[in-house]
Amino acid sequence: MSNSARSRQSSSAVVLYVVILVAFQVFLITVAVEAYMTDAEPLAWATAIISVVVFAAAATFLRFLRP
Amino acid sequence: MTRDHSAPVAVSVTPRWQRDFPYQQASEEEVTRREFARYLVLGAGAMATANVGLAVWTQLRSINAGEPRPIVAVADVAVGDPYLFRYPGDSDPAILVRLGSNDVVAFSQKCTHLGCVVYFEPSEERWHCPCHEGNFEARTGAVISGPPTRPLGRIDVEVRDDGQIWALGRST
Repeated sequence: MSNSARSRQSSSAVVLYVVILVAFQVFLITVAVEAYMTDAEPLAWATAIISVVVFAAAATFLRFLRP
Repeated sequence: MTRDHSAPVAVSVTPRWQRDFPYQQASEEEVTRREFARYLVLGAGAMATANVGLAVWTQLRSINAGEPRPIVAVADVAVGDPYLFRYPGDSDPAILVRLGSNDVVAFSQKCTHLGCVVYFEPSEERWHCPCHEGNFEARTGAVISGPPTRPLGRIDVEVRDDGQIWALGRST
């Protein structure tokens, strides 16, 4: 496999990882809304922390994407 | 004039259908893979911000435990009957029930599962959430059955000498 094809495939993998992380963020939003509706503060804060970590991971993946 | 055969020959890549039906739209601007990924990451950042905002909102909203105030005259509530009121704020539904002559308990009316309102079932002596069949013990608000995992939010109440039922604050 040529370097170009390999690079293109790795870029597709990075985008796929980011898509998965964004889907997970959508799920976390639903958990946060549920925590808000039921006044579950520990759950709301845990969700917020995980969400920020997921965002940081997605931003990190973006750095590995070739220009 | 001789042709240089080593030079690459330019080949048109425009498909035939596009040559037959040419059209151009401003919206046909190409979005690169990197731009697409950047939009996704920006979306993830917006959702992370929303999550933090919801957590802060949840924290600030539950700080309000309420100030002592009279709810209703105890004579106006029959034994075994519930009474609906708002506490601690005007957007917080609450419910009390008179279990005895001077025995009154009160809870937030929001089910701890998904926030539906609970009702008192005198025949079963329990609080019932009709949304997902959650049941709570009448006196303590503890979970009896159903999907809720936490007890109902308790509101401390007392019957004072003036004959009024007073709410003293929300415990949980």
